[in-house]
Amino acid sequence: MEILSGLFNGFSIALQPLNLLWCFAGVFLGTVVGIMPGLGPAATIAMLLPLTFGMPPTSGLIMLAGIYYGAKYGGSTTAILLNVPGESASVVTCLDGYQMARNGRAGAALGIAAISSFVAGTVGVLGLMLLAPPLAKIALSFSSPEYFALMILGLAMVVLLAGDSMIKALLAMLFGLWIASMGIDLFTDASRFTFGSAELLDGIDFVVVAIGIFALGEVFANMEMQGGASLLPVPKGMRELLPTMAELKACRFAFFNGSVVGFIIGVLPGAGSTIASFISYGLEKAVSKHPEKFGTGVPEGVAAPEGANNSETGGALVPLLTLGIPGSGTTAILLAAFVLWGLRPGPLMIQDNPELFWGLVASMYVGNVMLLILNLPLIPLFAQILKLREYILYPIIFGISIVGIYTSSSSFFDCWMLSLFGLLGYLMRRLDYPTAPLILGLVLGDSMERALRQSLMMSQGDLSILYHRPIAATLLFISLLLVCLPLFRNFNQWRIRAIEDNG
Amino acid sequence: MLDLSNSKKTGMACLFIYMLSPFALHADFKPTKPIECVVHTGPGGGSDVLARFIAQTVEKENLSPVRFQINNKTGGSGVTAMTYMAEKKGDTHTIAVFTGNWLITPLTRSETKVSVKDMTPIARLVLEPALIAVKSDAPYKTLKDFIEAAKKSPGMLKQSGGSSTSRDNVVRQLLMKSTGSNWTFISFPGGGERISALLGGHVNVMVIEPQEAGEHIRAGSLRVIAQIAEKRLPGFSNIPTLKEAGFNIPNVPQVRGIVMSSGIPVDVISYYENLFYRLSKTATWRKYLEDQQFEDGYQKSAELSYFIDGYTDQMREILKEAGAKVIR
Repeated sequence: MEILSGLFNGFSIALQPLNLLWCFAGVFLGTVVGIMPGLGPAATIAMLLPLTFGMPPTSGLIMLAGIYYGAKYGGSTTAILLNVPGESASVVTCLDGYQMARNGRAGAALGIAAISSFVAGTVGVLGLMLLAPPLAKIALSFSSPEYFALMILGLAMVVLLAGDSMIKALLAMLFGLWIASMGIDLFTDASRFTFGSAELLDGIDFVVVAIGIFALGEVFANMEMQGGASLLPVPKGMRELLPTMAELKACRFAFFNGSVVGFIIGVLPGAGSTIASFISYGLEKAVSKHPEKFGTGVPEGVAAPEGANNSETGGALVPLLTLGIPGSGTTAILLAAFVLWGLRPGPLMIQDNPELFWGLVASMYVGNVMLLILNLPLIPLFAQILKLREYILYPIIFGISIVGIYTSSSSFFDCWMLSLFGLLGYLMRRLDYPTAPLILGLVLGDSMERALRQSLMMSQGDLSILYHRPIAATLLFISLLLVCLPLFRNFNQWRIRAIEDNG
Repeated sequence: MLDLSNSKKTGMACLFIYMLSPFALHADFKPTKPIECVVHTGPGGGSDVLARFIAQTVEKENLSPVRFQINNKTGGSGVTAMTYMAEKKGDTHTIAVFTGNWLITPLTRSETKVSVKDMTPIARLVLEPALIAVKSDAPYKTLKDFIEAAKKSPGMLKQSGGSSTSRDNVVRQLLMKSTGSNWTFISFPGGGERISALLGGHVNVMVIEPQEAGEHIRAGSLRVIAQIAEKRLPGFSNIPTLKEAGFNIPNVPQVRGIVMSSGIPVDVISYYENLFYRLSKTATWRKYLEDQQFEDGYQKSAELSYFIDGYTDQMREILKEAGAKVIR
C-alpha cells in the first residue's frame, strides 16, 4: 500500500509538464551521447550539472538520470550498424548485432535492442521500487571473495566465446589479462608494464582496445577484400526493418535473463554493466538449444546483453539512493550532484525526501516509454547508413572512432594506441583468433586480481576464504561446471562414436 | 632656454612613462579569453567537483570578466595533468587545481618528469579534514580501544582505504609507528567500495571524509572514534582530535588549491591571487566550505610556496618510514 501511494505521488510529480520536458531532454541527450562513441553519460552529466542548480533537485535528478539510462539505449546503434561499440557496455552487442546487420537484419537487431532495453529497463525500475532497501543490505554481504568468484564466473565464459580453437581463445584471453595488468598497482604503488611512459601509468583504456579491435580491425579486414567486399544489405520496407514474431519469440528468455542478471549485478557496487552484459550473454548461450549459432547473428545474442546493460541502471541506483554508495563513474557524479543540490545522500535520503525517490522512479517508467517511442522510428533512418558505399563508410567509421577516442581522453597517445589495436584486430581476424575473449580478459582482469589480493589480505594469505563462503562457493562451482561443459560434450561425442563403431 | 629644457624634461618624462607603460598596462592584467582550469580527476572526482563549483561561483559572483572552462586531464594520479601544465609554460590563461597527490606522486614515481616545484603557486584554498570511523556495532568506543585490540592480535584487524600512498595509509603508518601496533591495510579503488566493505563488516576501520560519513552516523550505522583535524569540526564537537586523544602524530591534511605553469609574470600572479582571495571571501564559498565540512585553507602565493616545500619534506620522511621507494 505504501508503495502504491508512493508511486501515485511519484507520478503526480513526474507527470508535471515541466518534469516531463526535463525527462524528455534527459533521455534525448542520453540517446545522442550513447550513439557517439567516446562521449559517455558520465562526462555529459558532469558538463550539464551547473545547469541543474536553478532547478528543483527532483527535476534535476529526473533529467540527469534520463541521460544515464538513455545512453544505454543509444549505445547499441553504432555497435550493430558499424561494429563500433558506442560505450563500453555495448561491446557484447557487437558480437551478434553486427552479424545480424551483415545478414540483412540490421533493422531487426536495432528493434530487438530497443525492445529489450525497454523491457529490462522497466524491470530494473520495478526492482528498484520494490526491492531497494532489503537488496542494498544483501549487497553489503558481498565482499572481495564473492567478487573474485563472480569474476571467475565471467572468465569461465571464455569457453562459450571460443570459436573453433580453445587454445586460440585462451591465448586471446591471456593477452587481455596482460593488458589489464598494465599501469599503477593499487596495492604496492608499483608501475607495471609502463615501459617508462607516463601515458601508460593508468593502463590502456578499455574503450580504445574495444573500438580498435572491433571497428578498425573489421574495416582493415574488409578493405583487403577489394572489389569482392560485400556491402551490408540494406533492409527494405517495414517488414525487413522490424523484428519478426519468430525472432521476438526466440528472445523471450533473453528478455528475462538480461533483466534479472543486469539488475542483480547492477546492485553490486564493484561489478558494472560490461560484466553484466557478458554474463547474461554467456548464460543465454549456455542454456540455448543452438549455442553454435551464437556469434553468427542470433537475435537473443542481442537481446540478452542489451537487456542486462539497461536493467543494470536500475540496479546501480539501489546502493546510490538507499546507502549513498556509488558503484560506477556515472553514479559517483550523481552522488556529487546530490551534495551540490544540498541533499544529504545516505541511508536516510529516501525517508527524508520521499518525493525525490518516487518522482525519480515514476519518471523512469515514463522515460523508458519515451525512449522506446523515440528509438523505434529512428531505426529506418539509422539503417540508411548502410546504403553508403565503402569508400564513404570506411572513412566515416575511422573518423567516428578517432574522434570518439580523442573526445574521451583528449590524448593523441590514445589515438596511436587505437591504430595499434586496429592492426591487432586485423591480424586476429586473419589468423582466426576470436576477439571476444581478449575483451573479456581485459574487462575482468583488473577487478579479478584486485578481489583476489583483497581476499587474501583479509584472510592473512589463507586460500580457504575463497571457497568457505556460501555465495563465493556457489559461483565458483557454477564456473567449474561451465569450464567442464565442453569436456562433457566431447566425451559424449566420443562415447556415441564408440558405440556406433561397436555397433 | 628654460622652456626648451622644460620641454626636454617633459619629453624625457614622457619617454620614461612610455617605456614603463607596458608594465603599467600589464599591472591591470585582465584575462581576454576563457580561463582553462585543469583537473586531474574525471568528472565527479574531488578536484573536478571543486573546480566546477569555483567556475560556477566565479560566474555567479561576477569575479572575472571571462568564464572558467574545466579540462579533465586524467591519468597516473595527476601525472598527465602535471605534464600538461609543464607544456603550458608561460600561459596566462591556464590554471590547475592541485591536491596532495601532486606533491606526493613525483616522490615515488620515476615516470614523472615534473613536479609542483616546476609550477607557480597561486593560492591554497581548502584543507579537508577526515574522521576515523568504525561500524556502530564494533566493540571499539575510542581510537585507543581499537589500537589496544590491534596490539593484541597483530595484523588481524583491517582498514579499507585507497592506494598505498593515500592519506588513509599515511595516517595508519603514523599511528602504528607511534603506538607499536599493527593492522592490515586493504586498498579499494572507489570510495563506494571502501565504505561498503566497512558497512558489510569485512573490514574494521576506515579513514573517511566527514561529508561521506555524516549520513551513516545519523542513520546509526557508523561510529566516529577520532578526527584528523587541527580543531574539532562543528558537526563532531564531542569527538576528540588525534592530539586530544593522546596520539601525537603530525596532522596530514588533504589540501587543494590553485597553481599555474612556470614563467608567469608577477602581475598575472597577483591578478589570480586576488581573484581567489575575493572568491574565498564570498558568502557562496563560505557556505560551500561549511556544507562540505572543509576547513578554509586560504594562503596566498608566497605562503603556499613555503607550505608546499614543508609538506613535500614531511611526506618524503613519512613515505620512507613506510617503506616506499622514494626517488626524489
